[in-house]
Amino acid sequence: MSGRPGFGRLLLSELTKLYSVRRWSIALLAAPVLTVLAGLLVAASSAPGSPDTTVAGPDGGWVRDRFHFVHRPLTGDGSLTVRVASSALELTVPEADGGAARAREVERTVWAKTGLMLKDGLRPGARYAAVMLVPGHGVRLQSNFTGDIAGPAAGAPAWLRLTRTGSAIAAFQSTDGTAWTRVGTVTIADLPPTVEVGPFVASPTGTAVVQRQFGSLRESRYPTSTRAVFERPALEPVAGPGSGGSPDGWRDDEVNDEATAPDAPGPPPNAPADKRPQSGPPPAAWTGDRLTLIGFGDIAPRPAPQDLVKNSLTGTYAGLLAIVAVAVLFVTSEYRRGMIRTTFAASPGRGRVLIAKAAVIGATAFVLGLVAGAVTLLLTRPILLRHGYAAPVYPDWTLTDPVVLRAVAGTAAVLAATAVFALALGAVLRRAAGAVATVLMLIVLPQLLAGALPSTAGQWLIRLTPPAGFSVQQTVPRYEQAPQLCMPENGCVYDQPWAGFAVIAVYALASTAAAVWLVRRRDA
Amino acid sequence: MSTVHAIHAEWTKLRTVASTPWLLLAAVAVTVGISAAATAAAGSRACPDPAACLDDLARLGLTGAQYGQALVVVLAVLVIGEEYGTRSIGVSLAAVPGRWRLYLAKAVVLTGVVAAAGSLGVIGSLLAARHFLPGTALGAANPGQSLSPTAEPVLRAAYGTVLYLALVALLSYGVAAVLRDTAGAIATMLVLLYVAPILTSVVTDPRWLRRIDRIAPMSAGLKIQATTALDSLTSSPWQGLGVLGLWAAGALLAGLLALQFRDA
Repeated sequence: MSGRPGFGRLLLSELTKLYSVRRWSIALLAAPVLTVLAGLLVAASSAPGSPDTTVAGPDGGWVRDRFHFVHRPLTGDGSLTVRVASSALELTVPEADGGAARAREVERTVWAKTGLMLKDGLRPGARYAAVMLVPGHGVRLQSNFTGDIAGPAAGAPAWLRLTRTGSAIAAFQSTDGTAWTRVGTVTIADLPPTVEVGPFVASPTGTAVVQRQFGSLRESRYPTSTRAVFERPALEPVAGPGSGGSPDGWRDDEVNDEATAPDAPGPPPNAPADKRPQSGPPPAAWTGDRLTLIGFGDIAPRPAPQDLVKNSLTGTYAGLLAIVAVAVLFVTSEYRRGMIRTTFAASPGRGRVLIAKAAVIGATAFVLGLVAGAVTLLLTRPILLRHGYAAPVYPDWTLTDPVVLRAVAGTAAVLAATAVFALALGAVLRRAAGAVATVLMLIVLPQLLAGALPSTAGQWLIRLTPPAGFSVQQTVPRYEQAPQLCMPENGCVYDQPWAGFAVIAVYALASTAAAVWLVRRRDA
Repeated sequence: MSTVHAIHAEWTKLRTVASTPWLLLAAVAVTVGISAAATAAAGSRACPDPAACLDDLARLGLTGAQYGQALVVVLAVLVIGEEYGTRSIGVSLAAVPGRWRLYLAKAVVLTGVVAAAGSLGVIGSLLAARHFLPGTALGAANPGQSLSPTAEPVLRAAYGTVLYLALVALLSYGVAAVLRDTAGAIATMLVLLYVAPILTSVVTDPRWLRRIDRIAPMSAGLKIQATTALDSLTSSPWQGLGVLGLWAAGALLAGLLALQFRDA
């Protein structure tokens, strides 16, 4: 052979090597089989809990919808203006959990909402648009639970205005009631001519991690309430008596998705106290044109309690271990048999040989991962549906949904990156036992060890080791306006799915660079 | 060659391989280190509500065995896997013609070495727990639990953990004898031990949780470490260790058959 062989020929020869060892082929084929079998086991042995509510928003997603609403009907176009004089959050954390210092930390997770609402009736889950003051997050224009537009960073006291023009709802904010700033405009489809408009207050439950029991983090929840004072609510055009700023014509209701009869308008029916997590707030109080309103609850999208796609793909761990073993052997067996000298004699560019090997094993792992992920999800979906995982709590999904595609392609990419990492480590250590054991321990142990370490140390252990890559399997959407705790116990490593993949990609790149450098320097 | 000679020869082989002392040292260090880290982390934790801090102190103090066992797996696999890797199995079988005798000798030496290292790990772990836990809120929340390894049930948890490590070693040894491949056997063993706990973290059906908990070698075998709340276990400590014993016996038998009836 004259000169250096082309990289294409190098790839072909490495591919032939990989596929001509029978036990490697068996192990490689075992990877998708193990993944699918473990996925089936997980699906067959999973059961949905019984959710406290099943209220769906306009787009069919599971939502929370509880707030205190003082409202009156508005027919056709019009606008509503109000001055929010004050808004105060009340939150108590027991001394045992850290008391007042802890309360300030929990407060940051609470998006307490005070503002103006335009809603298609009082049914929980009905369409709406609302402009609100959220302490710490400024003025927001939110709509239909998932929509959230950030406005100026203002707090109470402030003027707010909501204007309806057909299906377009515009929100404005002002510090003095004369100079107005537009917050944004949203279009709410299918809005009937008559809607309910008025001031509202919602005050979600705060969350914090309190570590109590060894090895298990507990998420503590602290109900809050918000007391807001509104002044001079003004509806245009004036409809009915006294809309200028008196109790006449305004009705006082609590929209509550946790109440037993959500369709009934008016005050929520009196359910037994033990069935109600929090009894209703005190009625709205008018003093002239000042309105004092106390609110509980939240208006926000709710994440599914279990990430079905991620859970179904848990078996990737088993498949990954088989691929890691082959990837390590792909290079260490050449060293063991002295074959590596023949390989390097035939292709003197040692770095290129290693890159070719990495490309071959990476591509193989990627294809196997795609097949394993797609087959697993196709098989587990009907099982999960049969087990009672149903909308709105668990929205239905298909393989072509962008997030599901991302989970499948991401799983394949994680397998490929891990295989490359294993190969490079094999080239560095040149011993199968050491390399396999090291990679596998890095994959498996952080999951177990995280539970035995203090929470912060455990979380960083998972964030910085290869299993972080599996965060790319997350499919439950996260919203800024509905903050959730990100804990390994909830299967959450990073909020951003691809951030975890970056971790394993760094492992793969760094180890490949080290391996290329060493293979060039060392005797074979 | 008698069995005693074969055992002596295997002992010489094992102790003269460079990796053996390192693996054993690492197994002891990992077991003691992680146990100590776990008890220190738990002991320094504030415990405002004693009822929420109920814990099995002996089990907590022996946490490290879950991780030290990985190194035991590597050692056990190397004992036979490397003979195939380097083709020295042919020489060994020529020297000890009774194949079962060679197999037995290796198993005896491996068990002895692992039991010795396991004992060191267990004693170190319990000493660390006795150092970190008394006087802390966690210790105060669990009165009446002694960490003295001379009294039941801590004694049972202690020697049970040594037995557990020995059985894991024998299981790995049997698997390696069947697969005749170091990397494959290590991968298989780590899947067998560690994937079940990852699966159970996403399984929600309690019946399946019980099933997996009773059958998986690690969760079943480690029940021997339980010293409190024994009735909440899915099977008794000795039954659990018995399940692991069945796994090990099956693997050993399969390995023996593979050695007897396949070309080396």
